[in-house]
Amino acid sequence: MSEFSDWFKSSFKECYCDKGNLIDEKRFSEIIQLVLDNEADEESRAIFEQKIRTCVKSNGNYEREKCVQETIKQKLCEHKQEIPEDLANTIKKSIGL
Amino acid sequence: MSEEAVNKENQGTQRQKYSEKEAARVFDQEFMPHVNSMYNFAYRLTFDEDDAKDLVQDTYLKAFRFINSFEQGTNAKAWLFRILKNSFINEFRKKSKQPAKVDYNEVESYYNSDDIDESITTDLRVETVQHMIGDEITLAMNSIPVDFRTVIILSDLEGFTYEEMSKILDIPIGTVRSRLHRARNMMKEKLSSYAKEMGYNK
Repeated sequence: MSEFSDWFKSSFKECYCDKGNLIDEKRFSEIIQLVLDNEADEESRAIFEQKIRTCVKSNGNYEREKCVQETIKQKLCEHKQEIPEDLANTIKKSIGL
Repeated sequence: MSEEAVNKENQGTQRQKYSEKEAARVFDQEFMPHVNSMYNFAYRLTFDEDDAKDLVQDTYLKAFRFINSFEQGTNAKAWLFRILKNSFINEFRKKSKQPAKVDYNEVESYYNSDDIDESITTDLRVETVQHMIGDEITLAMNSIPVDFRTVIILSDLEGFTYEEMSKILDIPIGTVRSRLHRARNMMKEKLSSYAKEMGYNK
């Protein structure tokens, strides 16, 4: 059981009304984050995947969140600071290597 | 950071006793490959090339001084990031060139309150983000408070797991999850405002 199993179960339940419709999108976005970050355990992930296969609104939120998160991540990764050329050598010299 | 502080970071691991040659090899093979990630992290914390360089050098000096606290085969990158983060908080922030100082506990407790959810945007469109360039996204990230920026860097740029982040930042794993969620929402809010200003949403 992962760290978030209990949190996932209670949060997931609160996202839906008795009829199974998504009513709490903000809470659902926290669940999506856990899934996208690969921090949900297998059981939680299975429950999540089952739901997004059958609920259009849940699926739409998931796809949008996934795409936004991936795009932001990709653009941040592409935009890294140039490393000073001499940094590694300066460090090695400073400790006498 | 004192020896006691470094040792505290390695609770549960056995203290090593490396020969000079072994210490040099561990340093070179396990620590040095992370120098680029360390510099990027330092730069994103300080926003200054010289300060970032100093912070990284200082971190590596400490890592070498306390190398016997590092157990081979464990996560060197996370160990180094933790030293860097602590150096930044304990020493570097004090002499930082940044004029603005924020009470981050206050910021976090505000962003962790239930009220803030009401103002968090969920309408950031995919196309809007796709149209933006790296500079715009980086500016948005740089404008959020450092403790929130840090979790985005560690997770999205450096690929640390929640558990690793929990150890680096010395916070419970549940706080990592909630802080990351808040941080991403803050970023979306910034991007959404920026998109409106620039007319991207029209």
